[in-house]
Amino acid sequence: MTAARGGREAAAGPDAVTALPTVAAPLGTGETERGLGVCVLPADAAAKTQGIFPYAADLWAEGLLWAAVLRSPHPHARIVSIDTTHAADMPGVRAVITHADVPGDAMHGRRVADRPVFAHDVVRHHGEPIAAVAADHPDTARLAAAAIIVEYEVLEPVTDPEKAFAAPPLHPDGNLIRHIPLRFGDPAATGEVVVEGVYRIGRQDPAPVGAEAGLAVPRPDGGVELYVASTDPHTDRDLAAACFGLETDRVKVVVTGVPGAMADREDPGFQLPLGLLALKTGHPVKLVATREESFLGHAHRHPALLRYRHHADAEGRLVKVEAQLLLDAGAYADASSDALAAAVAFAAGPYVVPHVFVEGWAVRTNNPPSGHVRGEGAMQVCAAYEGQMDKLAAKLGLDPAELRMRNVMATGDLLPTGQTVTCPAPVGELLKAVRDAELPPLPSADDETEWLLPGGLEGAGEPGAVRRGVGYALGMVHMLGAEGHDEVSTATVRVQNGTATVICSAVETGQGFATLARQIVQEVLGVDEVAVLPADTDQPPAGPSARGRHTWVSGGAVERAAKMVRTQLLQPLAAKFGMSVELLTIADGKITSYDGVLSTTVAETLHGKELWATAQCRPHPTEKLDENGQGDAFVGLAFAAIRAVVDVDIELGTIRVVDMAVAQDVGRVLNPRQVAARIEAGVTQGVGMALTEDLRTARGVVKRPSLTGYALPTALDAPRVRIVKLVEERDVVAPFGAKAVSAAPVVVSPAAVAAAVRAATGRPVGRLPIRPQTAVARQV
Amino acid sequence: MSTYARQTGSTVTLPASLDEAVAALAAMPTAVPVAGGTDLMAAVNSGLLRPAGLVGLGRISEIRGWQYADGHALLGAGLTHARMGRPDFAALIPALAAAARAAGPPQIRNAGTLGGNIASAAPTGDALPVLAALEANVILAGPDGSREVPVSHLLTGMDPLRPGELLAFVRAPLLHAPQVFLKATARTGPGRATASVALVLDPARRGVRCAVGAVAPMPLRPLEAERWVAGLIDWDGARTLDPQVCTAFGEYVAMACIPDPVDDPVNPVDPTGPAGGALPPAVAHLRRTVAALARRALGRALS
Repeated sequence: MTAARGGREAAAGPDAVTALPTVAAPLGTGETERGLGVCVLPADAAAKTQGIFPYAADLWAEGLLWAAVLRSPHPHARIVSIDTTHAADMPGVRAVITHADVPGDAMHGRRVADRPVFAHDVVRHHGEPIAAVAADHPDTARLAAAAIIVEYEVLEPVTDPEKAFAAPPLHPDGNLIRHIPLRFGDPAATGEVVVEGVYRIGRQDPAPVGAEAGLAVPRPDGGVELYVASTDPHTDRDLAAACFGLETDRVKVVVTGVPGAMADREDPGFQLPLGLLALKTGHPVKLVATREESFLGHAHRHPALLRYRHHADAEGRLVKVEAQLLLDAGAYADASSDALAAAVAFAAGPYVVPHVFVEGWAVRTNNPPSGHVRGEGAMQVCAAYEGQMDKLAAKLGLDPAELRMRNVMATGDLLPTGQTVTCPAPVGELLKAVRDAELPPLPSADDETEWLLPGGLEGAGEPGAVRRGVGYALGMVHMLGAEGHDEVSTATVRVQNGTATVICSAVETGQGFATLARQIVQEVLGVDEVAVLPADTDQPPAGPSARGRHTWVSGGAVERAAKMVRTQLLQPLAAKFGMSVELLTIADGKITSYDGVLSTTVAETLHGKELWATAQCRPHPTEKLDENGQGDAFVGLAFAAIRAVVDVDIELGTIRVVDMAVAQDVGRVLNPRQVAARIEAGVTQGVGMALTEDLRTARGVVKRPSLTGYALPTALDAPRVRIVKLVEERDVVAPFGAKAVSAAPVVVSPAAVAAAVRAATGRPVGRLPIRPQTAVARQV
Repeated sequence: MSTYARQTGSTVTLPASLDEAVAALAAMPTAVPVAGGTDLMAAVNSGLLRPAGLVGLGRISEIRGWQYADGHALLGAGLTHARMGRPDFAALIPALAAAARAAGPPQIRNAGTLGGNIASAAPTGDALPVLAALEANVILAGPDGSREVPVSHLLTGMDPLRPGELLAFVRAPLLHAPQVFLKATARTGPGRATASVALVLDPARRGVRCAVGAVAPMPLRPLEAERWVAGLIDWDGARTLDPQVCTAFGEYVAMACIPDPVDDPVNPVDPTGPAGGALPPAVAHLRRTVAALARRALGRALS
């Protein structure tokens, strides 16, 4: 990690801040560190590790009622009647609500309002909410929900996305959610070598360990406050207010502790019944999802069927990529349009390809809904185009790393969308770093105790049947919302009595924004004590916590606000000494002038003053992909290269990922420990996608929605993650030059694991997660 | 008015001896006995089970250890997996110790018990194939005294637990010979078995006994394969077999446990295709897994 630090001073961006600490502290001594580029500890680290950090499930209000939601057992059915009388008559039940009790808009949705709060005529997926109950005990609420009599006319579910095109419409909006054709270059171009492949990607679930929970408290003015683990409080508030039939100022969303966040925190089907019940009963209402509800309720990663044809010349240079991408959006649109745009735009990967022709579709089915999960769209195609690169390398007899090296993209190259890659794109450097990294040693034959075999400590693994494989993958992902989304964030910085406060509704989901905000203010103002206030909708909007937005836009807004406060702080001093503000520096809590004549402390200067500033950060606008899939749709791109080393028991098909060597393009390291933690988390999620995480369905019905049935990686499954290189080439348009780090490892690691399993078994591996039967060596 | 009190009205008794427990169960036949609670309480928490009462078995010290009785070990039903996984127990019944160590994460092994594993009778219960291979018996304590039943009779429902009966002990033979338990799972960390094989050698009876777990609702015994391979072993000599014999044994076991669907009137792969036909890929892989496990188990037992 230290190898890449050299470029920091050389490549100062326009927003370059004052002096940087020259030596980063070793990991583990974060307490006294402050400012950017060092390992500042998160303020809530101790509480989280001790288990005393309050999450939404820990909330309590005097006299609260408990809610339960009735969900559909069928993936597709017509609702003939709903009879709530038995449930409403049960002792302890205070309210039973259905679609008839929604006072405002019946439909909602983040992009397209196509989703009912409660299903009323048709049920479109297993687990769709139909009614909700508030009662004085959670068991009473569940029993009452179960006592609601719903008469269904079961309909044939459409579960194969390929059949969705011809199937009768499942929704008034039709079954085709979006179609993007991409035409780039000459359709007649052909290469000397052609490889084809079909790739299938399973349904990964966010599977949060902290399941959904929330509390709704009615207000005396007829409004309601929602205490939920929201990641986009303002959008959630607007959705809720529309459904409740209230003005937006009557609804307040207060963000509680968020135990990690992806699509699982974006399920309005959870927040809306909660608020409606509180409004109806006039009591606080709490809802804590069971594990099963959690799996059924929130959105998942888009399952995908990807068909590819790659053309290359005899030297292995790519000539043309043709692809058909089909994403299963599930029952409702949600973020499918965004996922499809990413899938189509990155369909060829971080490679120079002169001719690219892609047809992408996102279609509606009766499968569980798909939505935002880190690296949506980009992850699915990465597994496919990297599979194609392996195939091409095998056909040409080239080393897979060498073939990739001949095709890597660099700054100035074109994406197939016609957009020029203006940000740093050190793809070749990343690949070289992982290729040259030392391989983990092979276990010695006589030392079995040291060797954790596939299958685990007490498993059936036999050293003689284990083969080791090494595989490479490169990938890319965009940062911030694409295609014209207004990616704006607002932050306020206040300084009083030597303490700074950051007020910004950017939600700390574990991604480290609160720590980063503290670091920025420490850096700019030289103040040690910085508090980041909890987020709620009384603050100005900051947008969703996704796609690495907050490092960029909210971090940028905090920096601007802090700089405005700095000017207010230094202006009187500068005027007094007859010099401009630029000649004063703040470091270690001291203000000094360029010539050393003036030297005072920040605390002294601040004495008796209260300084406020609010600023916004809005990156340059983007445009929607046109009818040929062309357009400058993305603000920024991040790249990663991963080399996976796996051990496969080729008789049982059990796989253990031994080592993941990661090289990533991070722009600039703002907090080394946090960067390392985010990469490790991303790689682990990617390993889960590659090996075990698949929410299986049978004709639209979710099978085994539990953490026993849905196998997350455990500590024994998580590989050793080695960060071999962090390339710090500043992205000049990004605040601090930093790129978001969380998504790229999730995008690339499944493809890397698949490549390594290919190398170990000689099997094609076209399906993720990799099933054991496809990882056994072919029978002779 | 709150419905809160009504729902916590169920009774919990904590007997200190087996007799008290049997009496408590007789006094309240609708009560459910609970030991580690790793299966039971998960069902209660998810609302699948709402027992009228609970008889907690945790304080009955007589079923939490083991004793010797004429060439057998009398294992208390309250033995935890963690206790069975320790070396002293492993010296006694190695396959059961291996199964106990493989039975889940430490939290589950600390709470979950041998008796609970039998009472839950989950197809993936790790102790079950070992008990089947050992031909162990269970001792059931009831209001009319205790009775002894082969564990396989209990698991197959030939001789089920009667009302008011408690699973008290397991009588397992001490064979003083190699035993192996192997388990295939979907991940490296603790997970449910996709298939497991327990194999024990019984030199006194010159037998090899093998049971396959997780592929059927109860452990399966490939009796013909056992007899065939036992006849090939030189019991008075080196007790080694040619690797090819081990491979053939593995395939014999796998074919016995996962037979070809010859009598199946519907083709499982393609319902419109001819009857019988090939196994679906997942089942074919399961058969290969069982064959590999059985081969490895025999190889390790004889090495």
